[in-house]
Amino acid sequence: MAIEPTDELKLEIKDLIMSTLNITDVDPNAVSNNEPLFGGNNALTLDSVDGIEIIMALQRKYNVRLNDQNLARHIIQSIDTIAEFISRERPAA
Amino acid sequence: MTTIPYNHKMGAHCESGTVTSLLNHAGLAISEPMVFGIASGIFFGYFHKHKSFTFPTFIVRNRPGDIRKNIKKRLGVKFQTYSFRNEEDGMNKLDDLLRQGIPVACQVDFFYMDYVPSWERAHVNVHFMVVIGKEGSDYLVSDSYFPRPERLNEQSLRRGRFAGGNMSPEGFLFYPTFVPADIDLRKPILKGIDKACFNMLKLPVPFIGINGIRLFAKRVVEWPKFARDTEHLSHEVMKINILLEDQGTGGAGFRFMYATFLQQASEILANSELKNLSSELMTIGDGWREISLFAARIGKNRDLGADKMKELSNLIAERAELEEDFFKKLKKSIK
Repeated sequence: MAIEPTDELKLEIKDLIMSTLNITDVDPNAVSNNEPLFGGNNALTLDSVDGIEIIMALQRKYNVRLNDQNLARHIIQSIDTIAEFISRERPAA
Repeated sequence: MTTIPYNHKMGAHCESGTVTSLLNHAGLAISEPMVFGIASGIFFGYFHKHKSFTFPTFIVRNRPGDIRKNIKKRLGVKFQTYSFRNEEDGMNKLDDLLRQGIPVACQVDFFYMDYVPSWERAHVNVHFMVVIGKEGSDYLVSDSYFPRPERLNEQSLRRGRFAGGNMSPEGFLFYPTFVPADIDLRKPILKGIDKACFNMLKLPVPFIGINGIRLFAKRVVEWPKFARDTEHLSHEVMKINILLEDQGTGGAGFRFMYATFLQQASEILANSELKNLSSELMTIGDGWREISLFAARIGKNRDLGADKMKELSNLIAERAELEEDFFKKLKKSIK
């Protein structure tokens, strides 16, 4: 059953992104949940290569599949969209 | 004003997505992975030197147009197709079909699709989408790469349909005119798998199938010789990522979409081995995704020394071994 994404999950996703990409100079609390992660004005601004790395990290950590790039592009738009996807798709514990 | 009621859906790949949505519109409930699998879409070809390419490259699916042709052959669907020498004739025919309430697939140069963000546009002459209406001089387009139907002005559609260059679209249009009411998918699935296995294992061409993956592994270390400079090499190596992950591959060079097809096929054929093979191909696809990421990283960091190119080569060679084993088992599973 899908669960509403929590603030805790969103923070966990930010930490995962930053540890995956070795980003140490950004405060996770400064990263907006709804601003785009790609090409926007967020504290984290990523590129398409980072995108693939994030997809692989999400797959490993949450045991979900993000195969289709067309869909993945929409899912990894922001912390909110990632959190919604994880809440909906990750297998129940 | 013409707007045809059309159930727009996103798809992984433009041609299989377009064919699937037209078949769905005609009343046939079939998924995109099923269309891709029945059409033997999975493939590999490596082109070290080819008149059409200025740099070595590879393909991970069968030729543009083959999905439609194989679906026609294996499902008994009839398609009407048109190509045009004259732009006016091509645009008039499209308008005429829309007035009749027929959604029409068009081949276009992706670059002229104005609804695509500018940073994503590239000249690709074999993009397919469905035109589903016209309002004033704007066309309504169902493009499977986008979450909702888009608008495209007449000038851009015209430029896209009649772009020049290699594999120019020549205004190509198609739509189904007959879709059988009840289709037993079992034989088409088996035929599609059999042909895919033949293409990957048995085609007696050194640059196709598993041979092609091995050739890619062997020759990729020579890529620096073809590049003008580091920038050029970096661009070409990063393209490995685009060819595997983007351009509507459904991710990791169509391997994930084919794995989904095998899973669906296992249920229809009541063949549990196909389900196991589906999981195996997902894992093989993950390995291609690792290659994709490795290539993107070394390209982005300009870290393209002989050691890195050799590492890339080894990763690709490993895929060849695994895919050879996989396709042999797949072939055996349908006997």
